[in-house]
Amino acid sequence: MRSLQREPGLLLALLAVIVLVCVFILYPQIRVIITPGTGYIDFLSGGTWIRSTSQSIQVMVLSTTTAVLLGFVFAYAMVYTDMPWKPFFRLIGILPLLSPPFVVAASYLILFGPRGLITYGIFGQTISVFGLGGIWGVQTIAFFPFAYQLIADVLSRSDARLEQAARNLGAGPWQVFRSVTLPLSRPGLGAAILTTAIYVLEDFGNPALIGGTFTVLPTQAYGLISGFGDLPGATAVSTLLLALALILYVAKIRLDGGRSFITVSGRASSMPRPPVPVVLTWACFVACLLLAVVILTVYGTLLVSALTLNFPNNLSFTTKHFEYITSDVNGTALQNTLIFGVVAAAFSAVFALVAGWLVERGSWPGRRVLDFLLIMPAAIPGLFFGIGYATAFNEAWLDWLDRGVLIIISMIFWNIPVGYQAAVAGLRQIDRTMDEAATSLGASSLRGFRDVLIPMLGGSISVGFVTTFVRAVTTLSVVIFLFTSGTTVATIRIFQLVNDLNWGRATAFTVADIGMAILALGGIALLSRGRIALGAARA
Amino acid sequence: MGPPVPSPSALPSLDAGAVHLRLAHVTKRFGDTAAVDDISFDVPRGSFATLLGPSGCGKTTTLRMIAGFYDPDAGDIVLGGRRINELPAHRRGTAMVFQDYALFPHMTVRGNVSYGLRLAKVAKDELARRVNETLDFVGLGKLGDRWPNQLSGGQQQRVAVARALVLRPEILLLDEPLSNLDAKLRVQLRWELRTLQQQLKMTFVYVTHDQDEALSLSDWIAVMNAGKVEQHGAPWEIYYRPKTAFLADFVGAVNLVPGTVREVRGGQATVQFGERSVTVPVPADTSLREGGEVKLCVRPEALGLAPRGATTDGAALPGTVARKAFLGDLMRYWVTIDGREWIVDQPDPGASTPLDGEVLVQVRPERVHVIAG
Repeated sequence: MRSLQREPGLLLALLAVIVLVCVFILYPQIRVIITPGTGYIDFLSGGTWIRSTSQSIQVMVLSTTTAVLLGFVFAYAMVYTDMPWKPFFRLIGILPLLSPPFVVAASYLILFGPRGLITYGIFGQTISVFGLGGIWGVQTIAFFPFAYQLIADVLSRSDARLEQAARNLGAGPWQVFRSVTLPLSRPGLGAAILTTAIYVLEDFGNPALIGGTFTVLPTQAYGLISGFGDLPGATAVSTLLLALALILYVAKIRLDGGRSFITVSGRASSMPRPPVPVVLTWACFVACLLLAVVILTVYGTLLVSALTLNFPNNLSFTTKHFEYITSDVNGTALQNTLIFGVVAAAFSAVFALVAGWLVERGSWPGRRVLDFLLIMPAAIPGLFFGIGYATAFNEAWLDWLDRGVLIIISMIFWNIPVGYQAAVAGLRQIDRTMDEAATSLGASSLRGFRDVLIPMLGGSISVGFVTTFVRAVTTLSVVIFLFTSGTTVATIRIFQLVNDLNWGRATAFTVADIGMAILALGGIALLSRGRIALGAARA
Repeated sequence: MGPPVPSPSALPSLDAGAVHLRLAHVTKRFGDTAAVDDISFDVPRGSFATLLGPSGCGKTTTLRMIAGFYDPDAGDIVLGGRRINELPAHRRGTAMVFQDYALFPHMTVRGNVSYGLRLAKVAKDELARRVNETLDFVGLGKLGDRWPNQLSGGQQQRVAVARALVLRPEILLLDEPLSNLDAKLRVQLRWELRTLQQQLKMTFVYVTHDQDEALSLSDWIAVMNAGKVEQHGAPWEIYYRPKTAFLADFVGAVNLVPGTVREVRGGQATVQFGERSVTVPVPADTSLREGGEVKLCVRPEALGLAPRGATTDGAALPGTVARKAFLGDLMRYWVTIDGREWIVDQPDPGASTPLDGEVLVQVRPERVHVIAG
């Protein structure tokens, strides 16, 4: 408090952060929530929300259950067994994180759709693949890697020494797992399940592509705007979606204190764990192999389709899809994706760092409130966030504002929690005496932050940067209400092209989009000499 | 008679020089607990001043208030005649050496040492000269281009000291700077620090929980307990004339024997303990009344030990050796006298056969210190 009075620079930085958070995180949400006004009465009495809500919950429970089960098997195998091919499986587990989740639906349609390779091509069937079953299957595959990352993180944090101690006291492998590992990681596992549930609940792309008449809350909100121009209805549905997500999120925070959040960073576990039986190791290996085959089929299909004339009917090699996506307006879309992603990631990382420092190292009143506001976007469905920006900033007096800038700002603040939590976690590992040493040598707080803390936070900054970039180039739901023809991005084009059943071009866009994410992660991993683990080095 | 007890005027005493640092009624609360509770003391200019106390006594909090990392809730901190309560930490000129050194891992030794000078925008030539001088001074002249993680603990400690000294601070603060080092190095660096301070004639404020360190380094010690300063003064005073039983017990091993004052006359008091009594000098600033409860405070090394039946000086208390421990430079005996265990240290154990069984403990009255209450 008094240090703020003594250092005007600190006060200015704090005020800037507060103003930005209020304008770009709080205000758009309030606008969405108040938009329906009396429309809430019509909306609630209309009753369409009952069906989409119950379907949302239904599919969330189903998909979360299966995704978590598969994710758990994968995580257990990776953390506890010494099965072969671990670096390969680690890559398999990261790949889906680098792609828009809804491309799984695209791949699924290519394989199992009305003219799908397997359904029609092999079995000659035109069965209906739309609806609940399709969404369930696709979301399971799309989100189990997320569940895997979260659960592996929890399991690898469980103390190997305790497990060694239990073995030493005479417990068998299964007893150790049941009596030591599980009880200790229960809160973390619960939080992982809830986080996966939030991802599934917020998923817009997959249900939009294969939901058919099976509407969930995000698709209903989108349908109301794009089909009927019903903004009050759409905002009411979005608010309902937000409420559900917030309930899950609050429950998650109660379990893990708001710690975990998916970041594309690897973690090393150096302490050896007690060995598991050989049979279990091989069972895990086979399970992982099967899951890897599924993942490779999903992404392999996309790649092959992008490189062939008309998959699966005409398998001649072609580059014309890639020529298409790099030409004219489509080239602009790719360029936009890259620019928006880089700019948003850079600003997000810097802003998150400053905000994280002010909250973690400050002692002013109200920092808990700011902390909450900075983490909150993690609970906000992308669709809600996009509608928020469309509602709040589509004003006549803001016409001078470039839509691309607006998209960038939305990406910056939607992704703030990633960089913010990385910064806070990084700062917590740096003892406060570092700041004090700088201060006692004559550095003001801001100067000490610049000279001492920022150089030491390199790892956290690159985690924030690369994760924000990946999320920015793979999000569909945030931009779907914000893009214009001049500011369209890859995910939007993929979505449009899949809807047009233009598989070759859609998959080419997908490959390019995922390629960008892989390059970004690989580049940062090289720069930071493996501090962001991408695979083999951290066996 | 044994050797005479030195009179206070013969004790190594401080030059009563100007007060350099003054704390007046300083209080710091964390929540409901007062970590530092209304403490006041003066540190003379050019002295090696130590805040000594068990963990949680408020010594580090006090140091951090001097540095400006905590704001006191009440009281004044005056440095060089200037009240610094409102001065931001980075403008106080109170360079600090931290317990874990807090060297910047992304800067070389030279980078660490020059950091403060760069902040102060010292000209390039002078900066290089002062950094080199200081590195030579602490014996690290050749290690300027090393990184902190390439240094041993002792070297890191020297870098931390150099980094603070190069600024020629008004006052140097040291927060348990030796506690992370092994015992031998700790003693060696203790002497280096003391020599450094005397060469520079700079005021050092040093925090430690290690009484040996405090006694051997300091010109002046303030012993803290539960947020209060129990006593301050020269190490000699603290050791031989503790004002409270806590102090006597905290600084060194001690025999504290409860007794009752029977007679006070001419600067002497007769104190009865158990069935026995002893006539001892009354400390200058202590007033005793007849019938009052006191504690007799005798250091183990001030007691003598002889076989039963030997001729002895002063009072001889018959007792039985309960156990003994060979500590190398001395033999420590626990002797039971009237059901109470006394600690008796005998120097140079190799010079004679250890005693056992029935013994006499010799008490020289002039070596007994009386604590009131």
